[in-house]
Amino acid sequence: MSDPRAEARLRIRALLVDIFGGDRFVSGVPDTASLREAGVPSTALVSLLVAMEDAFGFEWDDEVRPEVLRTIDSLAGHVVETGAVGTAGGR
Amino acid sequence: MSADEAQDNHHDLSYREDIPRVRTREGVELYAETNGEGDITVTTLNNFFFSAPFWREYTEELVKHYRVLSYDLCNHGQSSRVEQEPTWEEHAEDLIGLLDALGIESTYLIGTSASTQLARDVALAHPDRVRGMVLAGPVVGPQGMRRHRGLQRAWLRTLNSYGMPELYSHMYPEVISTDMNEETGTPGFLGLRESFLAMSTAEELNNGLTLAQQGDPSPELLTRVQTPTLIALGDDDILLGPTAGQELAALFPKGRLALMPKAGHVPFLDDPEGFQEIVRKFVDEVESDV
Repeated sequence: MSDPRAEARLRIRALLVDIFGGDRFVSGVPDTASLREAGVPSTALVSLLVAMEDAFGFEWDDEVRPEVLRTIDSLAGHVVETGAVGTAGGR
Repeated sequence: MSADEAQDNHHDLSYREDIPRVRTREGVELYAETNGEGDITVTTLNNFFFSAPFWREYTEELVKHYRVLSYDLCNHGQSSRVEQEPTWEEHAEDLIGLLDALGIESTYLIGTSASTQLARDVALAHPDRVRGMVLAGPVVGPQGMRRHRGLQRAWLRTLNSYGMPELYSHMYPEVISTDMNEETGTPGFLGLRESFLAMSTAEELNNGLTLAQQGDPSPELLTRVQTPTLIALGDDDILLGPTAGQELAALFPKGRLALMPKAGHVPFLDDPEGFQEIVRKFVDEVESDV
């Protein structure tokens, strides 16, 4: 896929589908919608962050700005910044 | 909402649009939701960091057995805004008004951190309305509340100097247990931060942290509480160790202590199922005594 951020968004969506046990909820969440306003609780977000570490091969840092965690797109942007997609970094 | 419906919706932390606000006094209407059914009501009391929907994840087992009532305090979340920040007495008045409006004669209370002070005040002022109370990570201590208030002052300074994300970074290692810090790592820290930032505004926290430094800190008050009281204390709580927890429980005429191994100041975050089991056992014991 030519767009690393788009690829990351798709992979993050797949992780969310796993966490929620189906795509009924996730399919209704736009890429740029606030995850917390969409109803993603902290426990699911924690699961997503852990799954992203495994899937993309990087580790989160405590100093990550809150804005990074707001949407699927902003999470994907962080993944791209870490170089975990579009390069050999992703698992 | 039935227990089954609550289970289906437990991932949804948003506010329910279809719930009418409950008028508790002149100019005050509270957001209040009930989950589960039953003759026994368990009412959760927010400290100034939590909102009513937050409790859904931590009462999933309780709603199978009881009616669980959660509400937003006045001037917080989806409840009314009034110009003058409510006093502890007005928060107590709101709770009684809420029970009246919902036709609840008496209830169990679950207080956490700062709201354990509210539970104490309600039990003292309205003993006939409180069947029992669970003080999770209490701020009322066997010798006073000086350490708690020092923490509140430090948090307030951080909030007003650096903002909410820095306040969270300040509080997290103090409030969250060593075990949870290690087990959930950075994802746990970041994930809970999103909830923290979503549930309150800086103004709400400023007002709450200010109020939390007020009220009578005297341990003598606790000796007058006739309500059955359970101290649910993590043995990694920053405010009270196990020995002080035993001393605290002993101050209440009908007090008892449940120690939660390795849990921190908000013990139900560490062990939601274990906490709810403790609450159930307490309610069962009190009801069997009745």
